[in-house]
Amino acid sequence: MTDLLTPRRLISKIALCLAALVVVMFVCSLVGTQKISLSAVFAGPGNTPGQNTDYDIFVRVRIPRIILAALVGAALAASGVALQAILRNPLAEPYILGISSGAALGVMTAALAGISGAILGGSPMAAMAFLFAIGTVWLVWFTGHLAGGSTVTSLLLAGVVINAFFSAVIMLMTSLIDSEQLRSTIMWLMGSIGEKDFSTLLVSAVFIIAGIAALFTISQKLNVLAFGAGEAQSLGVNPRKITLVAFALASFITAVAVGLSGLVGFVGLVVPHSVRLVFGPDHRQLLPTSALLGAAFVVICDTIARTIISPAQLPVGVITAIIGGPVFLLLLSRYSKKVGTLR
Amino acid sequence: MLIAVILLAISQLPLIYCYVEKPGANGSPQRIVSLSPNLTEIIFALGLGDKVVGVSNNCDWPIEATQKPKMGTFWQPNTEAIIAAKPDLVVCESFLQHKEVAETLKRAGLRVISLRIESIEELYNAITQIGQAASCKDKAEPLAAKIKSELDQIRAKASSAKKVKVLWAVQTEPMRVVGVKTFVNEIIDLAGGQNVIAPTGDQYPSIGTETILTSGAEIIIQSAMGTEDIAKQQETAEKFWNRFANLPAVKDKKVYVIEADTVLRLGPRLPGGAMAVAKLLHPELFSQPKNLNQETKRTND
Repeated sequence: MTDLLTPRRLISKIALCLAALVVVMFVCSLVGTQKISLSAVFAGPGNTPGQNTDYDIFVRVRIPRIILAALVGAALAASGVALQAILRNPLAEPYILGISSGAALGVMTAALAGISGAILGGSPMAAMAFLFAIGTVWLVWFTGHLAGGSTVTSLLLAGVVINAFFSAVIMLMTSLIDSEQLRSTIMWLMGSIGEKDFSTLLVSAVFIIAGIAALFTISQKLNVLAFGAGEAQSLGVNPRKITLVAFALASFITAVAVGLSGLVGFVGLVVPHSVRLVFGPDHRQLLPTSALLGAAFVVICDTIARTIISPAQLPVGVITAIIGGPVFLLLLSRYSKKVGTLR
Repeated sequence: MLIAVILLAISQLPLIYCYVEKPGANGSPQRIVSLSPNLTEIIFALGLGDKVVGVSNNCDWPIEATQKPKMGTFWQPNTEAIIAAKPDLVVCESFLQHKEVAETLKRAGLRVISLRIESIEELYNAITQIGQAASCKDKAEPLAAKIKSELDQIRAKASSAKKVKVLWAVQTEPMRVVGVKTFVNEIIDLAGGQNVIAPTGDQYPSIGTETILTSGAEIIIQSAMGTEDIAKQQETAEKFWNRFANLPAVKDKKVYVIEADTVLRLGPRLPGGAMAVAKLLHPELFSQPKNLNQETKRTND
């Protein structure tokens, strides 16, 4: 097992991951289809559009895209950590409790109803994805609790059933919606890191970072919860309350991420496990380091996605899975003996 | 990171403000980027080909277009490559992916026109709008008028004949056919045919064997897919459709694979595609091929 976690060790590890993220973001901002020079970027935009294309590409295309990728990665990884803790299930990931199908249903509804214009400062698709994702997880939460019994099992069951039900509704809608719109919504759902304007990024960044910070404040309780509900109770932690808080925060940041970029798969599953294997299972460090490394991971994957078959691009989810899978298996075979268990 | 984001956002504000004016909005564009195959065809047909500095990877007609720098795929345009091409006019469609790219380009001060182009009427509109944006209205109006009159001629000629029942498959496994809310349906209609499919919500609905069997289709048209030789696809199609031996189309050996680009692409080559369809539906009326560059293989005649 890992050594005792002192505040100093924790801070140094977080600083290390943060430095890694900054380096990754900087390097990736220099990589792209076009070669650009930093000195041209610092020369400023010039007076007319198109005068300094290096600046336009760097500031209006790459930077927003890299920030978006980092936000999505951080949100999904942190949410994965929280859900794996409260569900006490290594297969838990941000989409397990119906968020994915809820978001998909929201997007389809937006397309079917032909909603246009901006809602909540985002595109109607993003806003509907967010609202439906939030609605769905609450539906899962309440049905899970109505069922009673073991909270975790009924939550998982409710999540799986609602996922299946909404998928069926989506299939039904796809035969009603006309095709051009449908294809574009499906492409969007497959995970699309694009360029957003800075106000959207700013608002999302505030929400996501606040959500992760709030999760961090309960990370010690998540540690206790990992032993099981009974043990948590006897250690003075109300498992139901902490589960609710973690669940609400995790689904909120996931919904923000889904609204930003559709369903980027694999990050929420593989990043927390990889970090846990390397750094150990203490949530006080697992949560912030996963968020930072998840951010770096998605930034790298998106950079590959936008450059590898340039000028064409791949969906980022393809790269997260193709890189994440083997890397995770490697870590699993190398570290699992040392850590002893997956959790 | 939060601080960095805030700083960036603040530093961004005056710049957005700077770029309000759009140069070239009054001058005629000299560097055009097109993000969609049919828009590229329109732009070339308007004689603007030498001003095109970027096209999508899917733009394959005219041949000159394939020599132009590539700006990513139709579904995922590459914003970065587009800005680097320094266009003064970007022409794209209006669906989700193009809309997102268009917004970023507009923030970078570029002039973008987004066109919805899903029916023949919208094709005329698109041609006019591109003509306006590229200051060549004098060419756009005649082009739209020419397409319209060619289509009208086919319609007029076919209107005297009895409507032929058409089943148009875009894909066989699973079976998807052309529904009535599509421009392909408009072509079937003006070429003297009648789509056997009843109105559906989906533009290209998936249908069952029972619907096919009871459709009474007198002609089956299948648009070619991929780059495989049309004659080969024709052979495969005949084999496939033989399982519906009771359909009039199969009995009379009227199963045709047709070149997809002209009939499934709303562009200036549409009259050629419509003529090809008309020849299949009413060979007695359209046997003398007009000077249209459409080639249709009919191996089982």
